[in-house]
Amino acid sequence: MYRILEKRELAPKHVMYRIEAPHVAKKVQPGQFVIVRAFSNGERIPLTPVMWNREEGWIVLITFVRGKTTMRMANELKAGDYILNVAGPLGNPAPVERFGRVLTVGLSAGIIEVFPIAKALQEAGNDVTALHVTPSSMTILENEFKKAVSRHLVEGFEVEPGWGAKEIVEEIARRGAERVRKLLSEEHFDFVLTVGPAGAQKAVFEVVREFGIPMHADLHPIMVDGTGMCGSCRVTVGGEVKFACIDGPGFNAYEVDWDELIHRVGFYTDMERRALEEYLKSLRGE
Amino acid sequence: MAVKRKLIKERVPTPERPPEERIHDFKEVNLGYTFELAVKEAERCLQCPANYAPCIKGCPVHIDIPGFIGKLVQYRDDPDKAVKEALKVIWACNSLPATTGRVCPQEDQCEMNCVMGKVGDKVNIGKLERFVADYAREKGIDEELLFEMVPKIEKKGQKVAIIGAGPAGLTAAGELAKLGYDVTIYEALHEPGGVLMYGIPEFRLPKSIVESEIDKLKKLGVKILTDHIVGKTVTIEELLEEYDAVFIGSGAGTPRLINAPGINLNGIYTANEFLTRVNLMKAYLFPEYDTPVKVGKRVIVIGAGNTAMDAARSARRFGAEVIIAYRRGPEDVSARIEEVEHAKEEGIKFEYFINPVEFIGDENGNVRAVKFEKMKPLDERDSRGKRKIVGTGEYVTIEADTVIIAIGKHPNRLIINTPGLKVERGKIVVDENLMTSIPGVFAGGDAIRGEATVILAMGDGRKAAKAIHEYLTKKRKENA
Ligand SMILES: Cc1cc2nc3c(=O)[nH]c(=O)nc-3n(C[C@H](O)[C@H](O)[C@H](O)COP(=O)(O)OP(=O)(O)OC[C@H]3O[C@@H](n4cnc5c(N)ncnc54)[C@H](O)[C@@H]3O)c2cc1C
Ligand SMILES: Cc1cc2nc3c(=O)[nH]c(=O)nc-3n(C[C@H](O)[C@H](O)[C@H](O)COP(=O)(O)OP(=O)(O)OC[C@H]3O[C@@H](n4cnc5c(N)ncnc54)[C@H](O)[C@@H]3O)c2cc1C
Ligand code: SF4
Ligand code: SF4
Ligand code: FES
Repeated sequence: MYRILEKRELAPKHVMYRIEAPHVAKKVQPGQFVIVRAFSNGERIPLTPVMWNREEGWIVLITFVRGKTTMRMANELKAGDYILNVAGPLGNPAPVERFGRVLTVGLSAGIIEVFPIAKALQEAGNDVTALHVTPSSMTILENEFKKAVSRHLVEGFEVEPGWGAKEIVEEIARRGAERVRKLLSEEHFDFVLTVGPAGAQKAVFEVVREFGIPMHADLHPIMVDGTGMCGSCRVTVGGEVKFACIDGPGFNAYEVDWDELIHRVGFYTDMERRALEEYLKSLRGE
Repeated sequence: MAVKRKLIKERVPTPERPPEERIHDFKEVNLGYTFELAVKEAERCLQCPANYAPCIKGCPVHIDIPGFIGKLVQYRDDPDKAVKEALKVIWACNSLPATTGRVCPQEDQCEMNCVMGKVGDKVNIGKLERFVADYAREKGIDEELLFEMVPKIEKKGQKVAIIGAGPAGLTAAGELAKLGYDVTIYEALHEPGGVLMYGIPEFRLPKSIVESEIDKLKKLGVKILTDHIVGKTVTIEELLEEYDAVFIGSGAGTPRLINAPGINLNGIYTANEFLTRVNLMKAYLFPEYDTPVKVGKRVIVIGAGNTAMDAARSARRFGAEVIIAYRRGPEDVSARIEEVEHAKEEGIKFEYFINPVEFIGDENGNVRAVKFEKMKPLDERDSRGKRKIVGTGEYVTIEADTVIIAIGKHPNRLIINTPGLKVERGKIVVDENLMTSIPGVFAGGDAIRGEATVILAMGDGRKAAKAIHEYLTKKRKENA
């Protein structure tokens, strides 16, 4: 049981939890994640420690509210409550080396995971530009980025009436690819790192590939245990089957089978929608 | 001179729920003996002398089987006493009888050479063992017995860390706690139990049984830290700074995949993923429980071990038509006989001598069919005594919207990357005392054997506890 020390809404649909988890705080490195189980009938979901304090034993998680679990957490948990399970840290640290000029791209909520890595890259002596592609109202961590990296850019846009998640992600992919193309044409970069929805990451990758710049992508396949035991998170990288939870979650973007990943993350969409709808119904007392 | 008894050739049957009823839920299939039935079955045992009894030799932990069975008959007028005395005999060698009575491959172990087999049915040792454990648990006799033992524990002042809360780790923890050590288990998942919790389904091993075993350990003072992944949250090196000895019981949790095109199509599960979603996360209760699982109308399970049977029978309970596809023949099926029979009763079809070579998908990346090569057996046998098989160059394609791969597992990877830990073909190397290449670090169960059985894992846990006790006793003397 892990106590929530603080809970705050950072922007619409973006909730921050500061949680007492000394075992994770002590060890976590940028690029690693934890598996959270918030409710006794709940799922295990991967989330990323964004900040932490090793001495005080807490970590900060930020969720983008997109389905039942993240919504239940937002509705039902408050400061002082306990989260049942926080397992980790899991996965491998991101490559924090001296690359030179680095561009990190946070596509939508991917910015959550970009933060600790971008910060570490800057601290390691790189000149980091952090780009956030997002609906303008959902810009988060602006001040933190400004302090942590050389340059923070937001490619924001207004959500048109009638757009759903699909249209928003398409817009993020389109704008992300465009803005990255502009940056890469005008300036020199040695290394690119992205996190975000698979489709949008692929769009950005296709641009980066044209410029031949090394690129690292943190992937989001569906996970269950996060310890290499189930194979739910498998991805094809360099023609081989890898388990993202223990071989990743970050990989060389040039080797990732993007189309397979896009199919795999969508496998449960219909059931996820049903779970959310039933939850919303129960909230309305139906 | 023993009283001459009438030979009863036929086994007293245990009641089972009918297939047409049980395929609609996850409740236990076999209902077990009542005391009266257990005594009737116990009376069939010829009480072979302990030094001769072939059943004892066949049991990997050498339970005094005629000993515990005899108590049921001896105290037949006082069921509580009969069970308590029988449990004492079993506990001398086996601390998880409710589990082993249900899941041991008895036909290859204790029951294999039972002398009753020469004149009739072998004694139903497994179900008797299960009866003793179940009755004891329901009546609180096991706790009573435990508390009789607890005050005698003399604290040793030394600490032991156990990695993994499967049968190997749980057994080692229990034995060491009884010897007076301060024991802490580090478990990666949110629930202790290992395969007993995430792999073996409720209809074969109710989770309340595993939970009750774990409760007893806690009452012995064993601490369990869930959510701790050794190799990530803490390393073995760090554990050695805090603890006087370490036991690794991390199991064989890495699923083997088939190296064939299409393996990552949607709808292809490893048995581990499928069973974890269903058992540990209770996906059969979706959406009341949040974790989803997708079981199509036609399911193919590849493999024919216990894992394959569990996956197939779980899928059947979602209403699917299920085929078990095995590359060898019926004589090489490695699952417990009872499970194979149950699977057949539940309408699961078996296809032999076919080996998957390709998974065929639709335009959305979902699996639609599996292409198999037909195999044929040779007269020659391999090192494990199984008939060798060769491809025939002929193929057959079977449609399926869900495929579950159950062809075995490798030891868990996070542990075996520990510097200084000697590992061969993925298995941790140990000496005759189950000590690894790192002094003070012991290992047992599937982590050293590859995929084996619950009773072997438990036996290792017990043996390691003894070795750790000797190791730490020596250490105490050196420091004294
Ligand atoms: C390594 C890693 C780190 C992550 N870090 C963060 C983070 O810091 N903040 C954050 O908001 N999100 C993070 N995610 C994604 C997060 O796990 C999903 O947002 C969450 O599972 C959604 O659950 P839900 O019930 O609210 O939505 P659902 O309706 O269940 O799912 C919405 C979408 O989330 C994804 N998803 C669902 N279940 C899982 C699962 N078990 N594992 C992975 N993805 C899933 C799928 O793409 C799905 O379509 C991370 C994912 C990974 C793999
Ligand atoms: C579906 C299925 C059905 C089976 N049916 C039978 C049967 O009927 N009869 C039978 O005898 N055997 C059966 N077996 C085999 C039997 O379950 C195993 O041999 C036995 O569980 C091995 O015990 P163990 O303690 O070595 O490992 P496990 O039971 O695998 O437990 C290992 C534990 O260690 C944890 N762990 C792993 N790595 C780490 C780490 N780095 N840090 C912390 N914790 C870690 C795991 O989460 C797990 O809880 C079956 C196996 C499966 C998968
Ligand atoms: S532990 Fe297993 S092999 Fe031994 S007597 Fe019990 S059921 Fe038989
Ligand atoms: S071999 Fe059979 S008959 Fe003999 S003691 Fe064992 S169970 Fe009884
Ligand atoms: S999440 Fe289970 S193996 Fe990666």
